[in-house]
Amino acid sequence: MMHVWLSGIEGLLQLKELTFLALGMIIGLIFGAIPGIGGSTALALLMPLTYGLEPFTALALSGGVMGAVPMGGSITAILLNAPGTAPNAATCLDGYPLAQQGKAGLAIGAAASANSLGGIIGTISVLAVLPIAKELVLLFGPPEFFLLAILGLVVVATTSRGKMLRGLVTGGFGLMVAFIGYNDVVGDVRFTYGIEYLWDGVHLVPALIGLFAVAEMMNLMVKGGPVAKDAGTVKVTRMMSGVIETFRHPGTVLRGSIVGTVVGAIPGVGGVVASFLSYSLTVQASKDQESFGKGNIKGVIAPEAAINAKDGSALIPTLAFGIPGSAEMAVFLGILVLHGLQPGPLMLVQNQTEIYGLVWALTASCILASCIGLVLVRPLAMITLIESEVLAPVVICIALIGSYAIDGQIGNVVVSAVFGVLGCLMLRFDYPRLTVVVALVLGGMAERNFHQSMIMGDGSWLIFATRWVSGILLASIIILLGSPVLRALIRRIRKQTVVAAGAP
Amino acid sequence: MPNMHRRSLLVSLGLAGAAMAMKRPVFAATNFPAKDIAFIIPDGPGGGFDSYVRAIAPAMEKYLPHKATIVPTNVPGAGGARAATEIYRAKPDGYTIGIFNVPGIYIQQERHHTGFDVAKFSWLGRVGVNQYGLAVGEKSPIKSVSDLKALSKQRPVKFTSTGPAGTAYNATLIAAHLLGIRAQLITGYRGSREYVMAAVRGDGDAVVTVIPTLRRMAAGDTLRILATFEQHSSVPGAADATALGAPELSQISLQRLVAAPPGLPADIKAALATALSKALADSAVVAWAKKVDADVAPETPDQAAATLHDQIAFYTKWKPYLKTSN
Repeated sequence: MMHVWLSGIEGLLQLKELTFLALGMIIGLIFGAIPGIGGSTALALLMPLTYGLEPFTALALSGGVMGAVPMGGSITAILLNAPGTAPNAATCLDGYPLAQQGKAGLAIGAAASANSLGGIIGTISVLAVLPIAKELVLLFGPPEFFLLAILGLVVVATTSRGKMLRGLVTGGFGLMVAFIGYNDVVGDVRFTYGIEYLWDGVHLVPALIGLFAVAEMMNLMVKGGPVAKDAGTVKVTRMMSGVIETFRHPGTVLRGSIVGTVVGAIPGVGGVVASFLSYSLTVQASKDQESFGKGNIKGVIAPEAAINAKDGSALIPTLAFGIPGSAEMAVFLGILVLHGLQPGPLMLVQNQTEIYGLVWALTASCILASCIGLVLVRPLAMITLIESEVLAPVVICIALIGSYAIDGQIGNVVVSAVFGVLGCLMLRFDYPRLTVVVALVLGGMAERNFHQSMIMGDGSWLIFATRWVSGILLASIIILLGSPVLRALIRRIRKQTVVAAGAP
Repeated sequence: MPNMHRRSLLVSLGLAGAAMAMKRPVFAATNFPAKDIAFIIPDGPGGGFDSYVRAIAPAMEKYLPHKATIVPTNVPGAGGARAATEIYRAKPDGYTIGIFNVPGIYIQQERHHTGFDVAKFSWLGRVGVNQYGLAVGEKSPIKSVSDLKALSKQRPVKFTSTGPAGTAYNATLIAAHLLGIRAQLITGYRGSREYVMAAVRGDGDAVVTVIPTLRRMAAGDTLRILATFEQHSSVPGAADATALGAPELSQISLQRLVAAPPGLPADIKAALATALSKALADSAVVAWAKKVDADVAPETPDQAAATLHDQIAFYTKWKPYLKTSN
């Protein structure tokens, strides 16, 4: 076992491989930081370039890109509330409020170190589970996917405390949007109103760009002034303070990494679920739930650790079954096939050197990218001091161009603009955007897998309870839904006891 | 190697240019091609059609009368109908071509009456064809086609598949009918890899898909191939259409045809068709096909048009049996 792990490293520690790894890392950082274009765009553009490369070098390059993208994405998420990539949207929730308080440096530092730690923990977990990877992937069928989607929605809904009804309204809206387009089960398009663009559904990334970047900049324009309210705080930001902060919350890092690893290994779920689930679970687990969304550093650490931890394990379904967990992995799959590495169960056996090399490349790239991120903390934090008249038009331009660049469709820009206005209104009237995002991601999956489960079980609901993985998921959903009631009940009993004790 | 890089960079830069290239007026045919050619793929990156185009495009460039870049362009959505509509509406100047799933695209046309007519495209040739086969998960108690037939007497056999608009859905229903198996389809899986994995997992009883995919999964001890629908099985131990007494099974196929918009001038059509057929014989493409077990089966433009015609006839014949949805 050990020598296979190391053979991957040996292959990587060549000048050529390292050069391409570093090149990929820098490209990944830049592409990650620009909202809209992310790892998938970077890899798609690099794909023809890899024709002339050895397969292993191409893997080093791709690994470099994929490992660094989350770091780049977190920078813009924190500084501008514009998630560089879709999973970073969870980082916005607390990262941006921190930037507004002038603590952008702290948040970026925490994100960088959480990224690295998440990557390392993710790598270790993947190395441990690779031998049983095939079995792990096969545990999840339609009933499990459906319950997983519901679990995701429930976790998020219970996170928006005090705004439960508003959360449900926006979640329901997200589901409606998610059902637009092609229905895989019955093979027809619906809710497209004759618009060809909508045949493929409302794309997630343009919607996110609108909901976060465009909406925030519109909001900033209305308010005026820079992002950070207090210039003094920004200037005292230290590089290491964020790192120290991350190490002070080992539980959050670990939870995020484990969530990331598990979610990553489930085919077709992807990074958005990993980061949002990690964020929500962290909120659930903490005692000061009210402080989240207002700049709690744990709200930055949790999603960032999950995003990088999922990269390694996301390789399992991609390589073993050719089923990518994200758009990025789909393009990466194309690169593999181009180089004659055909994904399939045999690949885990035959191409171990390449796989382990790739895992190491991902890890190395995410650590390197985090270091660069740390070095850049101070200059980057200054962005939060730029006046909105300058910042907002520039960011909106970049965001809309990024939206267009995803696949060169003007429809993307329209989606971003519509969701921008919508997001701005939601900010204004204090409706949570988190539920929209999660519903957009999970809606289609929930519907499709529900339909499939019903066919599998001949229309019986029992199929959700009789399989052991779905049984566990079902139990988790019930516990989560029941916990607020239970908590309220306990509080009441306790209060009564106190009153009773103090009575005589 | 450095040359290769430079060209590759041009390819990537060309991506942006390709979109605009489609809208400009027709150039004098003798200059063809004078700019980038967009090669439209009806699917996202990473799929079968995508890898065919990406493997063929660089070789095809070599055999064009003038130097030009062929840019693989992914237009996924609506089971290929979006890509087909885009190609159908593009100027017939040779700068937009695309790969098609036949009979898949005809099925889309029949279902949605979309803005294109497959019969009118300028067909340039064929790059590959796949036949189908039947398999079960490695852990399944079903060992043979007769086991499946026996099961079908008790309850409908569940097959994992794409939605009704997919090629696999129709192939599965036709095959089940020819074999005398009552079938119920678990639909909605996206692409062959997903529904094959679903069969391995045990979502359904069996799966019908193209042979290379079956071979790859069977090699990893995850799938057991019961039959291939070839006249003579290429998989040892698996029954074939002849042995199953259903020779028509061998007509179920997935054709990968290449076409340009309707009304393509003859000289441009000839230039593209020649480049395509030479590319398919190019050593790089041959080596790629061997490495990934991809079937390369070239046809001339006329043969490809005839193949389309045959597939439409075959599908039309079976249409009455394809309504049995879940």
